[in-house]
Formats: sequence, structure tokens, C-alpha cells
Amino acid sequence: MKSPTINLRDLLFVVADPNSYICMIVHSMLRSFGANKVIEVRDSLGVIKALTGQKIDILLCDAKLPPHGGLKLTHAIRWNKNNENRTVPVLIMTGDTRATTIKTARDVGANMVAAKPLSPASLYDRLAWIAFNPRQFIDTPTYFGPDRRFKIEGYPSGVGRRKGDHDLVVGEDAGPALSQSEIDNLLNIARSGQD
Amino acid sequence: MQNDEEEPDARIFSVDSRFEKLARRPGGVPREEAIERAHEMIEELKPGFSQWLDRELSELGELIRQGEAHDYDAAWSDAAYQQCHRIRDVGTTMGFDLVTFVANNLCEIFATISSGGEYRADLVDCHIQALLFARQERYRNLQPEQLPELSSGLRRVIEYVPKEHAPK
Repeated sequence: MKSPTINLRDLLFVVADPNSYICMIVHSMLRSFGANKVIEVRDSLGVIKALTGQKIDILLCDAKLPPHGGLKLTHAIRWNKNNENRTVPVLIMTGDTRATTIKTARDVGANMVAAKPLSPASLYDRLAWIAFNPRQFIDTPTYFGPDRRFKIEGYPSGVGRRKGDHDLVVGEDAGPALSQSEIDNLLNIARSGQD
Repeated sequence: MQNDEEEPDARIFSVDSRFEKLARRPGGVPREEAIERAHEMIEELKPGFSQWLDRELSELGELIRQGEAHDYDAAWSDAAYQQCHRIRDVGTTMGFDLVTFVANNLCEIFATISSGGEYRADLVDCHIQALLFARQERYRNLQPEQLPELSSGLRRVIEYVPKEHAPK
């Protein structure tokens, strides 16, 4: 399969992570991918400031962004009807890859979840996936965000479900940490009505 | 949370975001080249990683020393967990998988303490020693599986973390 190419020039990225070193690494990766407009913030207030008065193109947000967490922040962005960035793509970065966390990220309206520690390939593929697989938005009394019933049929690069991956049974228990492919697979399960 | 198909009043609409439109333009950096460039840039950041890790370990050590004064309570263990998590989240990216492995173990210990488990100084100390060991340049690019005595030993140590406080 032909590798996809994403053109990130002139797109405004907001990277939100309390860890300055992580911010610097992600910033460097984005620059390597061709991005030239990257704002780094350390907390939710920084994100809100960045979202005020300008249109950002994508938010890369840590799940535990202080003070209230990146998931609550994503929920707040999706439910603020006056925010012009309400439908901005949100990629959640998290070291907590338990199934419940991934499900929560999906249910607050995140577009994608990337497991920490991040790798350049993992980040590039997820940005490419968001770019090349646009999803409809769903607005209901209980949910506002990208359609959760989507299917990953392999990343445009050809990276997809591996032969050795296990099927997931989603339960209430927090459960063990998931690999990145399991996270993607868990998002996929929603489409087949198992969740 | 309910699935969308159960919602009778669902409004479905398309959002042609600027990100989707512009990222699909021709002229971007091809995947393999972009990844290679990112790895090169990460290489340039690596000298600073040692200094950063030293600071983080020093702060973690200070937090641990303050634990007794805080009676090893949930707030203290949460702070120690967060500190350790920062190390965990960076190690692998910078080529130190072993640092991430040990820090992840230590995160599990602090998470157990945070949810009512007992603090065991010996179990924490051996992980701190393991972090100091794993941070050495010669262990860069080594996987935990390549040091089975260390990795399986630390995993066994986790099993000894008391899940509840012993009665005083």
C-alpha cells in the first residue's frame, strides 16, 4: 500500500502536556513532519487561552492535563456551543492505556488516542488517519463529537491489526494496560455493536 | 454512555475541518522521510535527556524523602506517581526502554499505595537503584527482555507490595 503523505505546513497545532520534555519531543516530531506552527501549553488554562480568539487546527492533549484532566477538557470543548473550535480534531496522548480510559476518551469526543511513550511512526500514522478518514459529527442530548462507530481498516501506511493481536472483550473493570494496536482495535469495536 | 444509534434525536453532520483539508494537500513530507527526520531530531535531544532525567530523579528522591512526613498518604503517593510517570513517558522515546520499564513498575507501586496499599521503603529503594542503573548510556536501546534477571526480578517485587496497611 502506498504510504500517505500529510502536509502539515501552516496548520496550527496546540500541544498540551504538563511535562515540558514531552512537549519538546512532540514539538520536534511535528517540525520533522513539516509543521511550522506549534503552540505548547502546560495546563487547561493554556488550552483555553489558545482556543480563544483564534482558530486552531488540531489539539494534542495529555489525558491528565492539570488541573482537571484532558478528557474533561475535551468534553468541555465539545459541549461549549459558543466555541468556534468545538469540532477541532482532538488527539489524546496517554500513558494510562486501560480500556476504561480509552472508552472515556472516545465518549468525551476525542478523535484518536496515542499511547505514551510516543514514537514518530505512531504519531505520524495517527495524524494521517485523522486527515484521511474524516468522520461525521454526532450531536445528541448525551454526546457531541465524531462518530464513535467508525472502523479502522488499517492505517493508510498499511500499518493495521497485527496477526498476533487478541480480540478484546470490553468490561467494566479497569483492566490491564493496552498496546497501541489494542487501543485502535477497541475504538473499532464500537462499530460492530459490541459496546 | 449510550450509543448514538439508541438516540432518537441524533443530528448527524459533516465537518470538513481545516486540518483534514490542508493535511491532504500535496507537497508534504513523505512518511518514511518524516519519521527518519524525527528520529534524527530526537537524537539531537538525547544529550539533554540525561540532564533532564537527573533532575527528575533528584525531585523523585526528594519526594520520597518527604513521604514519612506525609504519612505516605494518597496525596503524597499521587505526587510521586506523577513524577514517576513523567520519566516513564519519555524513556522509550529517547531510547531507554529499560528506564520506562522500571519507572512503570514504580508507578504501579505508587498507585497501589495511593489506593490504600502500604509503603515499603525497600521495594521503592530497589526501583530507584534500578532506575540509576538503567539510565546509564550502555543500557540505551536495550529491551527489558534482554536483561531478564533484572526485569523478572522487579516484576516479582511488585507482588510483594502490600495491598492494605498492616494493622498498627
